[in-house]
Amino acid sequence: MTFGAIALNWLEQEGANQMVELVLDHGVNHFDVAPTYGDAELKLGPKLRQHREDIFLGCKTQERDYEGAKRKLERSLDRLGVDSIDLHQFHGLEYEEELDTITGDGGALEAYREAKDEGKIDHIGLTSHGDPDLILDAIDRIDDLETVMFPYNPVVAGKDDAEHDYEAVLERCEAEGIGTLGIKAFAKGPWPSTDELPEADRPYANWYEPVDSPDEIRERFDFAASRGLDTVVNPGDPKLVAMVLDAASRYEGMDEARQRALIEELRHEDSPVPEQLHH
Amino acid sequence: MGVDVPRTVRAALADRPVEGRVCLEAGAGVGNATAGLLEAGASRVYAVTNDAEHAAAVRERLGRAHSDRLAVVEADLRATPLATDSVDLVTAHGLCNVLDPPTLDRVATELSRVARPDAHLVVDDYAPPPEGAAVSKLFALENAAAHLVDGRPLLTFYPADLLAGVFAAHGWAFERRETLLDPVPWTEAHLKAHANEVRDRAAALPPALGDPLEAMADDLAASIGSERAGEMYGLAFRRADE
Repeated sequence: MTFGAIALNWLEQEGANQMVELVLDHGVNHFDVAPTYGDAELKLGPKLRQHREDIFLGCKTQERDYEGAKRKLERSLDRLGVDSIDLHQFHGLEYEEELDTITGDGGALEAYREAKDEGKIDHIGLTSHGDPDLILDAIDRIDDLETVMFPYNPVVAGKDDAEHDYEAVLERCEAEGIGTLGIKAFAKGPWPSTDELPEADRPYANWYEPVDSPDEIRERFDFAASRGLDTVVNPGDPKLVAMVLDAASRYEGMDEARQRALIEELRHEDSPVPEQLHH
Repeated sequence: MGVDVPRTVRAALADRPVEGRVCLEAGAGVGNATAGLLEAGASRVYAVTNDAEHAAAVRERLGRAHSDRLAVVEADLRATPLATDSVDLVTAHGLCNVLDPPTLDRVATELSRVARPDAHLVVDDYAPPPEGAAVSKLFALENAAAHLVDGRPLLTFYPADLLAGVFAAHGWAFERRETLLDPVPWTEAHLKAHANEVRDRAAALPPALGDPLEAMADDLAASIGSERAGEMYGLAFRRADE
């Protein structure tokens, strides 16, 4: 499991400190944060510095050009109060043009590589909710890419179209020794429209409506972890983190018949195929 | 996306030779196994169903993209228009549970007739639901309504060994059994479809009899909502004529 430190954004400093201790107590040593997660970097800072040796720290930027990426990295180092980041990622890659900018002259990749030479970052990664083909393309174009983070859950796993073919990403990463981090493993579905449920009335601070019972959380964790991901990131709401820690602690894998059952259960969600009696 | 191949189908076909083979999906439903066979490179797929609505659904879902390899055939599985010894691989994916024992026997005879001497057979179906499963009540109601209207049950859940025995008696050598789903997710949509089966038959009964059946089915489907229960197994056979 990876601790998605966005959860700290919604806690006061004391609560954030306790959360970090809780996560470390469960043996989680990979943390992931970003400058766009509100105050998360600042709130992670104190405990991160206290336990710096025990934490493999991931951070990211949405900046695509050299100057922006360099500036944001310095800002993150400053806000976190550390000298280096273990894994720095291009955050939320969505379009081919962004990849062109990143890898082109004066692009963010230059800044990342320079920072790597200076010892400010140790590894380079990528995160994306976008097209799996774009991720594969990025793997082709960035030789020193070492991790990718992307959405993976039973709904995604049940869709065959290219838009959802993260299986291809998993296979490719396994073949090339690239680390895989799963997000949205706990997504139940999109929130109801804001007419139905105003944003302020949502019970969780997630982009999507999460599953929220211990059994469902455990099932989703087991599913994601058993499909070949190297690590699964908790949903962003701090209320759910303890359940995910518990699920991760008790992980024993999931057999294929059960994996298929989960995919099958959700496969009909938006299918235009008429309902029939069978699976 | 309507052409997503169910993972049950993909798992059931994974260790069978499909590429370049002539295949038959017996009881095509909405064409789930047909989609898997086409994906796995079958040279030709006959999707056989006696249900015009299902035939139309398969054509709509897969016909346009695979017109060169797919033939949707509306026919009774006890007497198909397919030639003797013409098919390399037969699938019966979720078929047998809608065949009562006498019909199962006759369908097995027909599948053996159309299969080539070295053909493969894939039979995927549901084990009888475990005792206490709520869905069993809905299935029982479905069977009661079907008995009243058609004179036979609609659903028969055969234990895997029993189906293996039936096909062995028709010249198929058993090769393997695997678990495709455990538990089986009976979703709200599935239960509604089952309740509709009751509704269809209730409509053919006098209101004094049909209306309460229909109301019971709706109540059951609503109160169950969804349930995870039982197992879907996958059997594979090879034609073994003496």
